[in-house]
Amino acid sequence: MKAMHKTTLREIKGSFGRFFAILAIIALGVGFFTGVRITTPAMVNTVNQFWQDYQFYDYRLLSTLGWEEQDVQEFQKQSDVCYAEGSNTLDVLYLFSETEYVFKTHSLPKNINQIQLATGRLPENSGECLADAGTSGLQVGDVITVANSNAQDTIDSLNFHQLTVVGTAYSSYYMNFERGTTSIGNGSVAGFVYILPEDFDLDYYSEIFIKFNCNEEIYSEKYKNFMGEKDIIWEDLTQQQANHRYDRIIADAESELNDGKQELKDKQKEGEQELQDAEKELSDSEKKLSDAEQELNNAKKELDTGKKEVENAEKELSNAEKKLDDAEQEIQDGKQELANAKEQLENAKLELDNAEKQLEEAEQELITGQQELDSSRKQLQEGQAQLETGQKQLTEARAVLEQSQAELSAKESELLANQQAFDTQFAQAELAWEYLPEEQKQMLLATQAQLASAWKEIESAKTQLETGLQELNAQQVLLTEKQEEITAGWQSLEEGQKKLDDGRIEYEQGLADYETGKQEYQDGLEAYQEAEKIYQDGLKEYETGKQEYQDGLKKYQDGKQEYEDGLQKYQDGLAEYEDGKQKFADGQKEYQDGKQEFDEKIADAEQEIADAEQEIADIEKPDSYVLDRNTNISYACFESDSQIVEQIAKIFPIFFILVAALVCMTTMSRMIEEQRTQIGTLKALGYSEFSIMGKFLVYSGSASLIGCIVGYFVGTVVFPQVIWMSYELMYMPIPMHYLFDWQLALASLIASLACSMGTTWISCHHELAETSAGLMRPKAPKAGKRVFLEYIPFIWDKLKFLHKVSVRNIFRYKRRFFMMIVGISGCTALLLTGFGVNDSIAGFADVQYTEILVADAEAVLKTDSGEELSKELEQILDTQTQEYVLLHQASWDLLADDKIKSISLLAPFGDMSAYINFHTLQQESVAFPSVDEAIISNSISERYHVSLGDVITLRNEDMQELHLTVTGIFENHVYNYIYITPETMTKQLSESPEFNTIYMNFPENADQYQISAEIAGNDSVTNITLLQDLKSRMSDMMGSLKYVVLLVIISAGGLDFIVLYNLTNINITERIREIATIKVLGFFKNETSAYVLRENIFLTTLGIIVGLILGVFLHKFIMSQIIVDMVSFKIRILPMSFIYSIILTFIFNIIVNLFMEVKLEKINMAESLKSVD
Amino acid sequence: MSAYVTFEHVKKTYHTGEVEIQALRDVNFEVEKGEFCVIVGASGAGKTTILNILGGMDTLTSGSAKLDGTEISHLNKKQLTAYRRYDIGFVFQFYNLVQNLTALENVELAAQICREPLDAKTVLEQVGLKDRMKNFPAQLSGGEQQRVAIARALAKNPKLLLCDEPTGALDYHTGKAVLKLLQDTCRNTGMTVIVITHNQALSAMADRIITVRNGMVESMYRNENIIDVSEIEW
Repeated sequence: MKAMHKTTLREIKGSFGRFFAILAIIALGVGFFTGVRITTPAMVNTVNQFWQDYQFYDYRLLSTLGWEEQDVQEFQKQSDVCYAEGSNTLDVLYLFSETEYVFKTHSLPKNINQIQLATGRLPENSGECLADAGTSGLQVGDVITVANSNAQDTIDSLNFHQLTVVGTAYSSYYMNFERGTTSIGNGSVAGFVYILPEDFDLDYYSEIFIKFNCNEEIYSEKYKNFMGEKDIIWEDLTQQQANHRYDRIIADAESELNDGKQELKDKQKEGEQELQDAEKELSDSEKKLSDAEQELNNAKKELDTGKKEVENAEKELSNAEKKLDDAEQEIQDGKQELANAKEQLENAKLELDNAEKQLEEAEQELITGQQELDSSRKQLQEGQAQLETGQKQLTEARAVLEQSQAELSAKESELLANQQAFDTQFAQAELAWEYLPEEQKQMLLATQAQLASAWKEIESAKTQLETGLQELNAQQVLLTEKQEEITAGWQSLEEGQKKLDDGRIEYEQGLADYETGKQEYQDGLEAYQEAEKIYQDGLKEYETGKQEYQDGLKKYQDGKQEYEDGLQKYQDGLAEYEDGKQKFADGQKEYQDGKQEFDEKIADAEQEIADAEQEIADIEKPDSYVLDRNTNISYACFESDSQIVEQIAKIFPIFFILVAALVCMTTMSRMIEEQRTQIGTLKALGYSEFSIMGKFLVYSGSASLIGCIVGYFVGTVVFPQVIWMSYELMYMPIPMHYLFDWQLALASLIASLACSMGTTWISCHHELAETSAGLMRPKAPKAGKRVFLEYIPFIWDKLKFLHKVSVRNIFRYKRRFFMMIVGISGCTALLLTGFGVNDSIAGFADVQYTEILVADAEAVLKTDSGEELSKELEQILDTQTQEYVLLHQASWDLLADDKIKSISLLAPFGDMSAYINFHTLQQESVAFPSVDEAIISNSISERYHVSLGDVITLRNEDMQELHLTVTGIFENHVYNYIYITPETMTKQLSESPEFNTIYMNFPENADQYQISAEIAGNDSVTNITLLQDLKSRMSDMMGSLKYVVLLVIISAGGLDFIVLYNLTNINITERIREIATIKVLGFFKNETSAYVLRENIFLTTLGIIVGLILGVFLHKFIMSQIIVDMVSFKIRILPMSFIYSIILTFIFNIIVNLFMEVKLEKINMAESLKSVD
Repeated sequence: MSAYVTFEHVKKTYHTGEVEIQALRDVNFEVEKGEFCVIVGASGAGKTTILNILGGMDTLTSGSAKLDGTEISHLNKKQLTAYRRYDIGFVFQFYNLVQNLTALENVELAAQICREPLDAKTVLEQVGLKDRMKNFPAQLSGGEQQRVAIARALAKNPKLLLCDEPTGALDYHTGKAVLKLLQDTCRNTGMTVIVITHNQALSAMADRIITVRNGMVESMYRNENIIDVSEIEW
C-alpha cells in the first residue's frame, strides 16, 4: 500500500493547482459559511458576556405612582431575585456651549446596569456627573447647566443647577448609541449623564430594576422561557405592590386632607363667631343710631315748633308793641286832641264871651260910636296930642312886654322839654312800673305835679302876656287906629258913620253868628265830654294792654331762651349722631371687609380641600408596567442588528457550499476521468475498489480537510471581528470574544468532506462500475451535438465560424456550463449586492438630502415660543433666508400590529414643496393630504404594513389619538415621518397645534454657517441643523457597513477566481488534444486563446447577465434584512455599481484567463499526436 | 528539380531533468516537390521528432531544416505558427477532429485561417464525403474521420502534407482507402506528401522512401517500382 500512498502524494504534488483549488474553494466556502454563521452568535455571546458582567437588568418596573424603598425591599424578597434596585431617570435639558441638549439623567447605579468608565472618575460630590462617552461629546471638565426651559417639576427634582463632568462612561443600559427620543427639547436625546442618587430631590424612585439569578443567554429560548414564567408572577406582583403604594399614598393624603378639613372647620367656626359678634355689635349700634335719629328728628320737630312759636311770639309781641305804641300815640293824640278841643272850646267860649262882650261893646260902641263920633271930632284934635304921648308910652310898654314874652317863651320851651323828657321817662317807667321803687314812683308823680303846676303858671303868664299883648296890640291898634282914626278919623268919621251903619248890619249878622256859634260850642262841648270819656276808657285799655304786653314779652323772652337752649342741645346731639353714624359705617365696612375676607378665605380653603380631594380622587389606581429587556433600545436593536448578519448568513453560505460542491465534483470527476486508465490498471492488478477510491478520497478529503480547517479559523476570526468593527460605530466598544462552536465546526467539516469526498466517491463509484478492460480503453469522446441556435439560421449563419465552435462547446458540457454560470453569476451577484448595499447605505443620505428633503436647514423653537414668531427672529428670517415655513412637529406613537412605533408627526403651516419633495419610490408625486388624511414615509408603510387607504391611529403622551386615512406613501429614508395638515389636529384634538419647527432655504452662495449661527443666536431658537451636515454625518455613520461590503466583494472575487480558474483549468485539460491540434493547425497564440477562452468570455458574459438579475434580487433580499431603526435605506443600485460589478467580474476573468493563457502556451503540440488516454 | 524539403545535419536533444536524450543525432534527407514520401522506422527511431520539426511543432537543436527554401530552424514561435498555418497540412494518427464540429466545419476550421484555402465542400467531395459533410466526427467511421482529417489538411492548400501514421488507428481496408486517397491527392494535385509510419509495407507505394533508425537516416532512396496502394498487403 506504500505505493498507493506515494502515488497519492505524488498526485497532490503533481496537480497542486487542482488540489489547491479544492482546498481554496472549501476554505472559502467554509470560511464564509462559518464566519457569517458564527458572527451573530459571537456577537450575541460577546454582548451577553458583557451584559452578564455588568448585570444588565431583567425587569424594569414602572408604576404611574413611582416606587419607594419599601417596594424595593419587597421585590428583593422574591425568589430568584439577585438584585432589586430603585433608580431615578429624568429627561433634562442642559445648556452646553449655548446649545440645549437633552440628556437622560440617571442616578448612578449600584449593582444593576453597571457602567464602564471610559475616562476620568466616578462622581463623588453633588454636582458632579458622568457623561455619555458614546454620543454626548462631553469631555471631563465640561460644565453643563440645567436650562431654564425645563419644566418646573424637572428643575425642582434636581438638587443642582449645573453639573461638572468628572468622567465619561459607557453604560450597559445604553450599549447602542441610539439614545431614543424625548418629549422635551427637539425630541432627540443627546446622551445620558449619571449623577449621584442624592442629587435627585425626589422622595420616590421612578423605576425599579430587577436582576434575576439567571444567566441564560440573551435572546435565547431558555431565557425567554425563564422570563415567560416570571412574567406571569411579576405582572401580578408588581401591580400588587403598586396598589400598596397607592393605598399608602391615598391614606397619607386623606389623613392630611382630614386634618386640613378639621382645621378649616375650626377656623370657620372661629371666624363665624367673630363675624356674628361683630354683626350684633353693628346691629346694636345701628339701632342706637336709628333711636338717636328718631330723637333728633323729634327734637328738631320740637325745635321747629318752638322756633315757630318764638317767631310767632316775637311777631305778636312786636305787633303788640306796635299796637301799644300806636295806642300810646293815639292816647297822646287823643289827649292832645282833647286838650286842643278843650282849648278850642275854651277859646270858643272866650270868643263867644268876647263876641258877646264885643257885641255888647259893639252895641255900646255903636251908641258911643255915635257919641264918640260926635266927640271924636273934638277928641281928634285932642287925641292927636294924646296919641303921640300914648304912642310913646306904648312903645315903651311893648318893649317890656316883648321881653316878658320872650322869657315866657323860653320858659315854655323849657317846660316842654321837661315834659317830653318826663314823658319818655315815664313811658319807660310805665313799662316797668311794677318793678319801679316807690320813691321813684313818688318822684315821678311829684315831677308830674310840678310839671302840671308849671304848665298852669305858664298858662296864666301866657294869658297875662296875651292880655298884655292884646292890650298892647289893642292899644297899638287903638293908637294906630286912633292915629288912623285921627288921620283917617275925619274920613272914618264919615265912613264911621257909614260903618256904623254897616256895623249895625254887621252887628245884626254877628249876633246871628254868635247865636250859631254858641250852639256850635254847646255841641262841641258835648262831643268833647264824650271824647274825653272815650279817651279815659282807651287810656285804661292801653294800660291793660301794656301790662299784657309786658307779660307777653317776658314770656317770649323766656321761651326764646328755652328755644335757644334746645337748639344748642339738638345741634350737639346731631353732631354726636353724625359721629355715631360715621363710626357705624366704618364698623359696617370693616364688618363687610372682614366677612368678605372670611368668605374668600373659606372659599379658598374649601377650594383647596376640594382640589385636594379631587387630586386624591384623581390619583388613579396606579398602572404598573413590567418592562423586560425587549423595551431596551440596545437590547432590541442589537437583536435585529445582529440578525442582519444572520440573515446574510442564511443565503450566502448555501451559495458558497453549492459552488464548492460543484467545484469539487467537477474537479474530482475530471481527475478520475483522467486517471481512468490507471484505475482500470489498478483494478486489473487486483486492488480493491476501496483502495483505488482511497487515493481520490484522500486527495479530495485532505484538500477539503485543510481547506475546512483554514476556512473555519480564518472565517470565524475575521468575519466577526470585521463586522463587529463596523458595529462599533453604533455600539459601545466591547472587545469581541472568539467563539468556538464545535457543532458548527463539525457541521462545516462534514459538509466540506461530503462535498469533496462525496462527489469523489460518486464519480469513482461510477467509474469503478466499469470493467477494468473498459476502463483501460479510452473513453469515447463526447459526441458533438447541434445546439438549438443552429436551427435558427438567421442567427447561426451570421455567427463567425469560430464563434459557432465556442457556442457548441459551451453547450456541450452542461454541468460545466451550469457551474460556470453559477460561479460567475454568483460572483457578479455578490459584487452587485455588495456595491448595492453600499449604494443603498451610503446613498440614502444623498437621496434623502438632495432629492427628498431639499430644505437647507431646520430650526427647532423653544416650546413656549407662543403663537407668533418673535419680531427679531422674523426679521432675521426675512432678511437672511430665501424662504421659510413654520411647522408643528411632535413625537407620536403609531399603533400598528400590537406594536408601538414612535414617529415624527409634522403639520406644516404652509406649502412644503420648496422644502421636501413628496414622491413615491416610483417617483410619482404624492399630493399633500387634506383634513383627516395623512401621508406617511415609505419606511412606516413597509415595516408596519400600512397601505394606501388604511386608517392609522396615532397616540401621544397625553393619550390623545389621531385617526388618519393614508392617502400617500412618500419616499423618505431618515426617520419616520407622517405629514398632516394643522387643521386635522385642530379638528380631532380641538386645539390648534403650535409651530415649533422652521424649515428654511438660504439664498444661493450664502454662507450657511454664518446665517445658521445668527438664527441659532436668537432666544427662541433651541437649535438649528444644517441638513448638509446631517447628510455627511449620516453618510459617515453608515460608512461602517462598508466593511461588510468590502468583505462581500473580496469573497465574491475569491469565489469568482476559484470557480473560473478551476473550470477553465478543467476545460483546458479536458481539451488539451483539441487545443494542441488547433495549435498544430497553425492557430496563432491569441487565436488559440480566443478559441478556448472565448467560451470563458461568453460564459462570463452570460454569467454576468444572470448574476446581475440575481444580484438585484439578492440585494433586495439583503436590504430587506438590514433593519436599522430610524433609517430606511434607499433600496437601489447605482448604474456605476452595475458597471463596477461587470468590470470586476471581467477583471477576475481576465486574470484567470491570463493564467490560462500561460497554461495554454505550455501545451505541447506533441500532445496532439498522442492517442486518447 | 531542386529539393523541396531538406534536412541537413539535424540534431535534436531533449533534456528531461538530468537525463539527456539524443532523439536525432544527424539527420540528412531531402524530398522533392510533388513527391509522395514515406519515412519509415521503428518506435523510438526518431521519426516523430522529424515530423515535429518538419511540422513546425518542435525546434531542432542544431542543423538546418528547410521547406521550399525557408529555413525552419530560424523561425521564431510566431513564424513557426505561421509556417504551420500556411505551409503545413497535418494528418494525425487519431484524426484529431474537433468533436463538436461537423465534418465540413472541421475542414472549415482549417480553411478559414489560410490565405488561399480550397473550398471545404469541394475538398470533402474529393475525399468522398459529399454526403457526410454535416455529420459530427462521432457519427463517422474511423476511415471517414481520417478522410475528414485529410480534407482538413488539404483545404489549407499547404506546401506540404504531413501524415503521422494515418492508418494507425484504422483497419486494413480503411487504411488502404486512406492511403489511396493520399496517393491520389499527391498524384492529382501535385501536393508533396510525407507519410510517417512504422509499417514498412507502405513504403512500396512511395516515390521516396526514407528509413530512420536510432536517430539517424539509415537509407533514403527513390522508389523506382511504385506499387499501387490496392496492391500493397500488410
